[in-house]
Amino acid sequence: MRFRGGYNILLKGKPDRNISVMPEPEVLYLPLASKRFTFSEICVQQGQKVNGGDILAKDPDNYGVPLLAPLAGEIKLGAEEGYVVLDNVRKDEERADLAEKEIEHIEAKMGDGGVKRYKLLSLGAWQFFYDAYTGTLPDPQGDPQAVIVSTVSLEPFLARGDAQLQKRLLDFTRGLEHLQSLLEYQPIYLVLPDITSAFADLVRNHIRGYAWVKMVEIPLTYPYDDFGILARRLNLKRDKGPVWGVRTEGILATDRALTITKPCTVRIISIGGAGVDGPTHIMVVPGYPTKTIADKYVLEPSARLIDGGVLTGEIAGQSLGVETECRGLTVLPELEEREFLGFVRAGWGRSSYTPCFLSALRKRFREDYTSGVRGEGRPCVSCGYCEDVCPAGLMPHLIHKYLYRDLIEEADEARVDLCIECGLCSYVCPSKIDVRGELIKAKELIAKEQEEIRQEQLRQEEARRREAEARKESEENSE
Amino acid sequence: MKWLLKIVDAVRPTFEEGGKLHVFNPVFGALEHFLFAPGTRTLGAPHIRDPIDLKRFMSMAIISVVPCVFAALYFFGLRIIPMIIVSYACGLAVEAAFAIVRKEGINEGFFVTGILFPMILPPGIPLWMVGVGVAFGVLIGKELFGGTGRNIFNPALVGRCFLALAYPAKMSASWIEAGGGLTGRLLEYATAPAATDAVTVATPLSEAKGGQMCSIWHLLFGNVSGSAGETSAILIILGGVFLLFTRVANWRTVAGILLSFVILTGALIQGGAVSYSIDGLVSPIIWHVFAGGLLFGAFFMATDPVTSPTSNIGKWIYGIIIGSTTVLIRNFTGYVEGVTFAILLGNIVAPILDEAVIAIRIRRLRSEG
Ligand code: SF4
Ligand code: SF4
Repeated sequence: MRFRGGYNILLKGKPDRNISVMPEPEVLYLPLASKRFTFSEICVQQGQKVNGGDILAKDPDNYGVPLLAPLAGEIKLGAEEGYVVLDNVRKDEERADLAEKEIEHIEAKMGDGGVKRYKLLSLGAWQFFYDAYTGTLPDPQGDPQAVIVSTVSLEPFLARGDAQLQKRLLDFTRGLEHLQSLLEYQPIYLVLPDITSAFADLVRNHIRGYAWVKMVEIPLTYPYDDFGILARRLNLKRDKGPVWGVRTEGILATDRALTITKPCTVRIISIGGAGVDGPTHIMVVPGYPTKTIADKYVLEPSARLIDGGVLTGEIAGQSLGVETECRGLTVLPELEEREFLGFVRAGWGRSSYTPCFLSALRKRFREDYTSGVRGEGRPCVSCGYCEDVCPAGLMPHLIHKYLYRDLIEEADEARVDLCIECGLCSYVCPSKIDVRGELIKAKELIAKEQEEIRQEQLRQEEARRREAEARKESEENSE
Repeated sequence: MKWLLKIVDAVRPTFEEGGKLHVFNPVFGALEHFLFAPGTRTLGAPHIRDPIDLKRFMSMAIISVVPCVFAALYFFGLRIIPMIIVSYACGLAVEAAFAIVRKEGINEGFFVTGILFPMILPPGIPLWMVGVGVAFGVLIGKELFGGTGRNIFNPALVGRCFLALAYPAKMSASWIEAGGGLTGRLLEYATAPAATDAVTVATPLSEAKGGQMCSIWHLLFGNVSGSAGETSAILIILGGVFLLFTRVANWRTVAGILLSFVILTGALIQGGAVSYSIDGLVSPIIWHVFAGGLLFGAFFMATDPVTSPTSNIGKWIYGIIIGSTTVLIRNFTGYVEGVTFAILLGNIVAPILDEAVIAIRIRRLRSEG
């Protein structure tokens, strides 16, 4: 597959490359749920004193991925619904909460590789790994057919790889070496931007010595950095085993976990968007109070705070603390005023996918956006824009029409499952149809149905087996 | 404009659930959203949307026809204005009635149909026929299929086709001689010559059937008789290129129609199947491209995204079908003009083309990842 579709939306509020350090927090609010994880198994007690790196909770459905205490402090459970609150936060020497016995046990059973994987999981590095096709957490003991390491981050506005890599290039290459030691012969694809900048060349020169790293240069068009798209681009077939995807921060965490056996608790996240005063990167720990960040950076209090990028993030308005998977915060001013005769305006200042505004005559520029839908919902007119931008090669309008008529099976045939949920189709649609939302719902429905079918088959098999056993028994009895 | 918004806000309850004029909510909604862009906010990802909306999208189509409207005014006189008004009024009445019944918003798509329809009619046509035609087109061609976005046929063409079949005599008696000079017919309210005069004005294409072909320059500028907006090739190309540039129309359809038309006509001339009074190969081809409704149909009618195939390959084939059908109808049947029928035929074929192309694409997708 070649790259297709994709589109870069130019927005005001792009974070710069600097990283500022936030003031030390006094209280941390650690959310018990993030995009992929639900930490339902609480491992600490009320009032317990913990150290940085201690395991606070685990997600039993995701290979026991841990929620780590970023700093030392005192546990307060149930103070806020859905959060573990860490009070009297201090920065003590953090330590690795690894039981020696457990390690010995694992070493005896699975050897060196097993220990490394165990460390990755319990030191919080494993949560940066993704299954390229499904976006879920891969099995830490599994064997991938390949690993895709991406230094590129194209969604506005998520933490940029170049900001994270600055001054950490050596750590990064060491992390790659560690990653390689987990694998046998499987290739590691390192995804770099196809640009020539001094920094990109530096990275390239660093990597050149590693024969086992295959460099892949991609154009900087959203969302070509998506692991699903990259896996398809690299022709990695799903039936040949899982593909792991990991970004810059994951490699740095791997290095930290395996070189010095320290937990990975500090994040570099972006804070960007039109509602931000001086968009940049910040260094925080999970659970860092959202309010402190908002007080420092958000211009209007009514603006919308988004956890993640502006195209795929979720509204984080009520969130108290930064969740553990957060890659960036985006602040989007809400639409306040209704524009008089909006659609007849010349549109010199509107940045559009279509050349229907006068701005088509000027150079592309960054637009000041709000959360407005900018039009009313209408039936699909088959303009084909969504198909043109779709990076997955789907026909979103066709699937939309199938779903409108409740034709789930046809939607499945048209491969909704390949949708990577990039959101471009909803963005460009002149009829303001939320195509992405519909497709996601359909995907969930299909997954549920397939699961039901699988369960039903299991049940039938079970019944058949039991029946056969009963018959055998009765035959034996009669003999 | 705060005061106006205040008025709108004050009036709104009358049209809302439980208000006195609740049935007219779609009409009110259309007016409100015409004046003020809606204040809806996104509910989740993606949190931002492109500024393009259907109003803007359709406005582009209307803007692109404006040069042709001016040409119609210049060549055929002020009568064009009431034709447009009648077309909008009757069509809008049908559209609004259905919006009320269906409890949906009034759709912008109609505003394009409303301006295109008079442009493809003979300029001397009685006004009541304009009204009947547009009402028929919108009702049968669009609303019965479920409204904009769900129709199979181009409503303006359905209306025109209906008039051509129901009142053939009246239609062919409604051609007007094009005006010329500095003001053209701009100051006249020209009507078709009374039927009693027994002189019917011939369009270039019907003259050509009799072996007489006017100059290509006349076709290019448009001072020939013909449908109101179809005569001036250069202005149609101007508007059409604008439409292609804004990506409201897809260039593949246009290219498919024009290329297949040129190639087939050329092949027929070379093969000796047809002969024209103009010598050579290139000149008669250009003459035929410029004559009649071909350009207007190719740029403005066939490109309607709803009634053309959705896939890009489908659009090429669709264009080729329309282009070659037009050639065949023009040269080998009793009709002098074939674009209307060709595009309607294309509309019929479009879903089949889509079906085929989609089947192929889905088969290809099946082997993916
Ligand atoms: S962008 Fe919207 S209107 Fe256009 S084809 Fe896709 S779903 Fe339909
Ligand atoms: S269908 Fe999915 S992959 Fe394609 S544009 Fe829409 S959200 Fe993105």
